[in-house]
This record gives sequence, structure tokens and C-alpha cells, in this order.
Amino acid sequence: MRVKNLKLKKGAGNIRHIVQAAFFVIVAITTTASILNEKGLAIPFILDASLHAVCPFGGVVSFWQLLNFGTLVKKVHESSVVLAVLGLLLALLFGPVICGWVCPFGTFQEWMGKLGRKLFGKKYNNFVPRRLDKALRYLRYLVLIWVSYMTIISGKLIFQDYDPYFTLFNFWTGEVAITGYIALALVIVLSLFVERPFCKYACPYGAVQGIFNLFRIFGIRRNAPSCISCKKCDKACPMNIEVSTSKVVRDHQCISCLECTSDAACPVSATVEMLALPGSVKDNFVKPAVKNADKE
Amino acid sequence: MKLTIKSMGIIVVGAFVVGIAGAAVLGFWKTTSSKQPVAIKEGEFAGLPNPSDIRGSYTWADVAKAFNFDVKLALDAFGATSETEKVNTLETIYGEAGLPEGVEIGTDSVRLFVSLLTGLPHTPEEGTILPSSAIAVLRENGKAETSLIEAAAAKAYDPAAAASPAPASPAAASPALKSESPASASPASPAPTPAPAALSSTTTIATTTTVKAESAAVEHVATPGTITGKTTFKELKDWGLDEEKIKTATGGKIGPDSSVIKDWAAANGLTFSELKVKLQELFPAP
Repeated sequence: MRVKNLKLKKGAGNIRHIVQAAFFVIVAITTTASILNEKGLAIPFILDASLHAVCPFGGVVSFWQLLNFGTLVKKVHESSVVLAVLGLLLALLFGPVICGWVCPFGTFQEWMGKLGRKLFGKKYNNFVPRRLDKALRYLRYLVLIWVSYMTIISGKLIFQDYDPYFTLFNFWTGEVAITGYIALALVIVLSLFVERPFCKYACPYGAVQGIFNLFRIFGIRRNAPSCISCKKCDKACPMNIEVSTSKVVRDHQCISCLECTSDAACPVSATVEMLALPGSVKDNFVKPAVKNADKE
Repeated sequence: MKLTIKSMGIIVVGAFVVGIAGAAVLGFWKTTSSKQPVAIKEGEFAGLPNPSDIRGSYTWADVAKAFNFDVKLALDAFGATSETEKVNTLETIYGEAGLPEGVEIGTDSVRLFVSLLTGLPHTPEEGTILPSSAIAVLRENGKAETSLIEAAAAKAYDPAAAASPAPASPAAASPALKSESPASASPASPAPTPAPAALSSTTTIATTTTVKAESAAVEHVATPGTITGKTTFKELKDWGLDEEKIKTATGGKIGPDSSVIKDWAAANGLTFSELKVKLQELFPAP
């Protein structure tokens, strides 16, 4: 029997949610401690770091200035550069795992999405017409170009005033621009209809990470001969990628969450897997013993 | 090689733990700034801290320590009560004081104050002014030229005057902005405190400004051939400088046409006051 026990698979899927929650809590605690520290209310035994210090995107937009002049964009610290390099190495190997496993704002949107899923059931995450959705997903590259250009010419973190992620962790500090509040409110509302709307349409860091999907070393591969075309992988994908029609997932929006794999949604073992892509997987898999896994 | 969800979880957490721990061991993991402004790179003041690099996150104590003066001077100048307060609190304090539109007392005012106190170069942003309490401190302790301190005094904000009824005279339309000398109408923004080599050209550097009696707002008009904190590369070209000439001043690089030179300089680690002098020299003396 090649169809796995679904309870075990659910347990495996929970590992990602635990990791996500842990990163969310760590970022929330350190940034809150930093803000309180600035107000003279230091919390003992807690490392304090501003959100800019623990956001890899600050490091990414600082690269140009760092390479040319050896300085960082205002408010960005060395830790951001460390995280940016770490994020790029991980992306080169595994794709945007930062988005799928680490980013607290992605996690927040997923939590909001659970509410949306309860409200709209199967309709959830399927509201936007496919063609429009596909076109809108390139918006984040325009955002990336705009943010990078403006940061380079101004030497300031231009995106802060529009960043819903910054707003989420700083909404009570008085440092947030009205545009930031609007962006966060928009993301919260959209998250009730679309999974990870900010990641899909606007996140400049997601755009940087997404490019690595085109040449990452480990990728999602579907073994067509063993696939039973149940499309559970498609339904599980938060980014609406059609895994069931792909041989190898090279979609620029994949976040490496592994929700589509045989470890999670796919009911047939060794059918959708994260593998080292260059040449290590053969296509002549043995057909699965059970063709209709939905009956299990 | 196959990766499962479990192994991916271990890889992600492990990469962060090892990466951050490794960076910490190597001394790269820094989540706060050093509170030490960058040094001036060229000219007579090379190696000394640059007032233009004072950040809003610095405390009064950080500023005093970096520029080696008694913190009490800064506290007296800006009416601050605690040396551990961040200088960016000025924007909140004076933001609520009802300053006229177009002027601001904030972090750049601290840069200007330090510049006038120490004699180090800094070009303030348009609209940056000082409170009158700072002028009193500078008149007694400032190392910058008296004319520069008086230029700042001409635009200083006096809370007492602001609280009194507005006078009828258009010349004193803004009660908070003193007009102590005839020169205060033009230039209205605080005169920059350039490196000594450029002190003589101070008058050519200031932006033409008029104080509107009706609104007390400060209006800025770019004067061809006069470089200010708002001049763009496009304006330089419009005024007759070609790219090659501009590059001789900037060190071989040039920003996009729409870039404000001051912002571009800050983004590229250059000192605007020094760059401005070099660019200004490219124009024939009036």
C-alpha cells in the first residue's frame, strides 16, 4: 500500500506551522522589547532588536550601497545583511523557504486565511479570475524595482511607510505612516478572500526570493506515472500553483512550503517530492498500487 | 536526495541558529548602530565626526560624546530634560508647538546646532531652524563664524514670541520666526556652514527665499547656478554643466536626473557640504 496514513501526514504538516509560529513569536518578542527599551522600559533577559535589524529585505536593499560605498541604508544594521545572505543561500538551495517557513507576515496572512477558509469554504482562494491573478502576480517585481531605485537614490528605507509587515509589529508605536495602516488593513481584508495576498501581489522580498525558483538546486518534482490526478496538491498550494500538471515546479511564486508533497497533501507516496533536481530523479516510477486514494 | 517536511524544518531552523551564531562569533551580528557618526572624508576636517550623520536614534549623550562637548549645552539648547532622550523626540515636541508651515525643528536642527557649536561643516535642509534657546548657547559657546550663528538666529523659533499676539507688520508676519537683521528676508533658511574653503561663498549657496506675510509659509525658488539642498542633477545639466564636468566633482559617478544631489550624496556616503563646494566651483563666480 503506497497511500500513507493521513493522520501521520497531518503531523508532518504541522511541523511547518510550529516553525512558523516560533519565528513569529521570536520576532514579536524581540521587536516589542526593542520598542519598550527605546521608551525606557527594558525587559530583562530578552534580546531586543528593531524590526529593521531582523528583516533580511533591509540587507537586500543595502547591497548596492554596501558594495559601492561600504555603508548601510539608514536604520539597517549588519544583522539584516547577515539574514539577507542567509536567505539568498537558502533560496539558492531550496527556493523561497524564508517565505514559506520563516516570514512572520506570511504566517500572519495564513492565520487570517484560516478565517477566510471557514467563511467561504472551497471558494476561498479562488475569487480572483485566473488571467487577472496571473498578471497581478508580476506587480511585486514592479514594487521591487521601485523600492530598490528609491532606496538607492535616497539612502533611506522608503518602503517603511507602505510596509504592512512593519505596521503589524509597530502599529502602537506612533512610527507608522497612515499609508502603512491602510496597507495592513487592505492585506487583512484581502486575506479573508485570497491566501497570502501580499506575498502574491506586492512583497518585494518575495519577488527577490521567487526568482530563485527558476534555478534552485532542490525543487518540487511530480512523478507523472504514479500520479493519480486527484489534484490534492493543487488544492493544498497556498499560491494556487498547478502542481498536478507540472513535472517540476518552477513557478516563480512557489514558497517551498511542501504542502503539496507526498509528505502532506499528496496521498500517494514518492509522487510529489522535494528532490535535488539535476538528474537524480527518474521518470519511470512504478505505478501506485491504489489508483483512487480518495476512497481511503 | 529527498527532503521531507521534517528534514526541511530542521534545515531551516538549523540554518538560522548556525548562521546567526556564526555571524555573532565573527562579529557581524549587530542589531543596533554604533551611535558614532561617520568621519568626514576630505578637506581640513578629514577624520573628524560628521554632523550630517547624526541620526534621530542618537540620544543627547551620544551626540555630546561623539562631538566631545558638554551634554548640558545640548539640553539647554533644545529644552530637553534627559540626556538619555533620543534627539528625534524634537520632531514630536516642536511638531506640536505650531511651527509655521515649511519650517521644522528636528534631527537636522541638532546637526545644525552641532555644526555651529563645533565649527564642523553641515548643510541644513531647507526649512531647518533652531529654537532661540539654542542661539543663546551658540552665541556663548559656538566655534562657527559669528555671521553663520547670526544667520541661524535670524530664523530662530522663539516660543515666547509665538505665544504673544501676531504683530500687524508684514515684516514680522511670523511671530515665532525672528527677523533680527535685514539679511533675514533673504536668505531665509539658515545659512549652511560649509568647510572653511567655502565660507566666502556662503551667500551664493543659499536658496532664494521669500517669507510670505499672509501665510508665514517659506517659499523656495531655485536660482540657476546656485546649489542648495534641493538641487537635482537635472538642474545642474539645465544650468549648463555636462555629465563629465559633474563627474569631476562627484568622483566619477552621477545619480539619475531626478535625484536630489543632497540625498544622492547621503546615499553614497559623500558629504554634501563638500560636494556642493566642488560643484559650485564649476560655475563662474557671479
